Amino acid sequence: MTGAMRQVILIAAKDLRIEARGRQTISLVIVLGILIVVVLGMGLGAGRPVSGFAATAILWVAYLFGGVLCFEKTMAVERHDDALAGLLLAPVDRGAIFAAKLLTNVLLMFSLAAVVTPVAILLFRFDLSAHPLGFATIMALGMVGFAAVGTLFAAAVSSTRLEGGLLALLVFPLSLPVVIVSTQMMRRLFEQGEPLGSTGLATLVAFDVLFLVVSWVVFELVLEP
Amino acid sequence: MTRTAIQPVDATFTERAPAVRVQSLSKVIDDRPILHEISFEVPDGRYVALLGANGAGKSTLLKVLATLILPTAGEVFFFGRSQSRDTVGLRSKLGMIGHGAMLYRDLTALENLVFFGRLYRVADPGARARELLEYVGLASRADDPVKTFSRGMVQRVSIARALMHDPDLLLADEPFAGLDAPSRAMLEAFLERLHDEGKTIILANHDIAQSLALAGQVLVLRAGRLVVDRLTNGLEPDTILAEVAAS
Amino acid sequence: MSAARTILGSLYWVLTAALLAACLLMLLFYTPVEKTMGPVQKIFYLHLPVAINTFAAAFVVFVASIGYLWQRRMWWDDLAAAAGKVTVLFCAIVLLTGMVWGRSAWGVWWTWSPRLTFSLILFLLYVVYLMIRPSVESPQRRAAISAVYGIAAFIDVPLVYLSVKMMPDIHPSSIALEPEMKLTLAAWFIPVTLVMVGFLFARFRLNRRLRELGAGRAVPEVSGVQAIPLGESTP
Repeated sequence: MTGAMRQVILIAAKDLRIEARGRQTISLVIVLGILIVVVLGMGLGAGRPVSGFAATAILWVAYLFGGVLCFEKTMAVERHDDALAGLLLAPVDRGAIFAAKLLTNVLLMFSLAAVVTPVAILLFRFDLSAHPLGFATIMALGMVGFAAVGTLFAAAVSSTRLEGGLLALLVFPLSLPVVIVSTQMMRRLFEQGEPLGSTGLATLVAFDVLFLVVSWVVFELVLEP
Repeated sequence: MTRTAIQPVDATFTERAPAVRVQSLSKVIDDRPILHEISFEVPDGRYVALLGANGAGKSTLLKVLATLILPTAGEVFFFGRSQSRDTVGLRSKLGMIGHGAMLYRDLTALENLVFFGRLYRVADPGARARELLEYVGLASRADDPVKTFSRGMVQRVSIARALMHDPDLLLADEPFAGLDAPSRAMLEAFLERLHDEGKTIILANHDIAQSLALAGQVLVLRAGRLVVDRLTNGLEPDTILAEVAAS
Repeated sequence: MSAARTILGSLYWVLTAALLAACLLMLLFYTPVEKTMGPVQKIFYLHLPVAINTFAAAFVVFVASIGYLWQRRMWWDDLAAAAGKVTVLFCAIVLLTGMVWGRSAWGVWWTWSPRLTFSLILFLLYVVYLMIRPSVESPQRRAAISAVYGIAAFIDVPLVYLSVKMMPDIHPSSIALEPEMKLTLAAWFIPVTLVMVGFLFARFRLNRRLRELGAGRAVPEVSGVQAIPLGESTP
């Protein structure tokens, strides 16, 4: 167990080090995220304060599109110069590779959110002040499940050479439950002032757990050099 | 199972199991048979040349041996242990050089080696990495990113990566492809030295003359079948060509 | 052998068509008209069996996908692809019949009610399943990716259901049915299920045939001289 943990941290640390060196993914993703926020914010009429509910919807779109880009990029690192083959040759459990990639993706998405959210609040006077903790909980739970699905399919499509649109096509419909649940929860939270309901949280957790388990089991079967 | 019973028992075999034993190995990819019923043995410490035209199945065979892809049928044994039973354990006995460098281009040579060393649980990966960089003549470039290296230098780092965990069996898939003459000579010398140190080497190559000069055993694949499996002593390239043509 | 198969196949379809016609007559002349909705309510007898069969087809995709990943036999992939087609077709019928119903019951073609949303997402999930298939060239990769997606999509279905339940609902959850209505509903399940199984099987056989033809074409490539090296990467 500790051995597996060690491998996960080792591989994730390697990915983050590569990312820190070029900062290619995170800068791209943040710019894309801000762009999405600006475009959608304009669409809703710039200058007017945007409700918390609309704000979360806009932010979700930014996180989802940014996330898909993260999944692609972290997998592309392994595709260069057959690096993945080197990783697969090593006595490393495939589950550890999945966990490491997931960890990297979640961290990247969290950093994306950490930058894009305040920018959006600043630009559009997004009002999340009513329930910042509820907002963060829902978003974090949603992102973990989304990243689990994304990490799995990024590995699956990365050897097909037509990653781009294909990955988004695969990941978005599967992630719709997360989007529906979190927007409904946000609506109750911000429009009706209800606390986080257990049904909504349970659905989000169920999504996370199911897709973490399935991705972890299936990952090995789609990973080919 | 009856196969092994019938086989004549060589004196060396009784002491040590062969480094590689492949039993009726087949691989089908996309409904096309890439490897068909391949069986051979490689004693410990032997230098083997794997020959064949492009598309004959050399790369696929090496990938199966390297545990990168699963065979459709048949079994592979390393040092007497079944590859399918003890995949993760046996991986630490294998090293591989391919045409891809299997390195992270944004990391430095040293970082790459240390990373892979840690994955293999090498005792002191930093020291081992520096030692190997010295060995391949790149000690001065240890802290430069791999992407700034020439093809020959990348290949040398790649060799160092394959040797980080001191593997008993080294698989090389067309390692000479795209190398200039000095790098080729250097790589030949490396492989020779590793062989002298007692490593088992399987080298896929399309240069017949070069292979025969280096190796002690030759395997020839044609359209997914093993058509030649013999020792090379005194063998001329023309003989091999004739055998391939006749088979 | 194949002649017997053809006869058996024709027999199957004749029987299915006859049952379908019988059910239609039953619907027109036997089943009573519902009071509040009027004759449009009768679309329900088609709607529900088709909806249930949509799940059945999606379940076949799920099982065949697991089968493929387990055994790596191509016929599992052919079965999954066939079931995917049937799922999309049936789900489209569910959506259309549902929309016709909604138009007369609520006066709108579309509303984001939980069950409509649910059907729409189910439809999208499996449309995507069909769309990704041709975009992956290597048959083996295609089968693997589709199988993973087929499993994920089916696991997604209950989650979609849970999530849409959080939305405000106007869909009837249960309708009081008279005995004649129940009988009609039960009767309709038979031809609809037969159509589903028939389509599935026909499509599966077609997929098998296409694959055999494709494999036949690939053979000379293997034995002949190949210019393309086996390894994926070129220096």
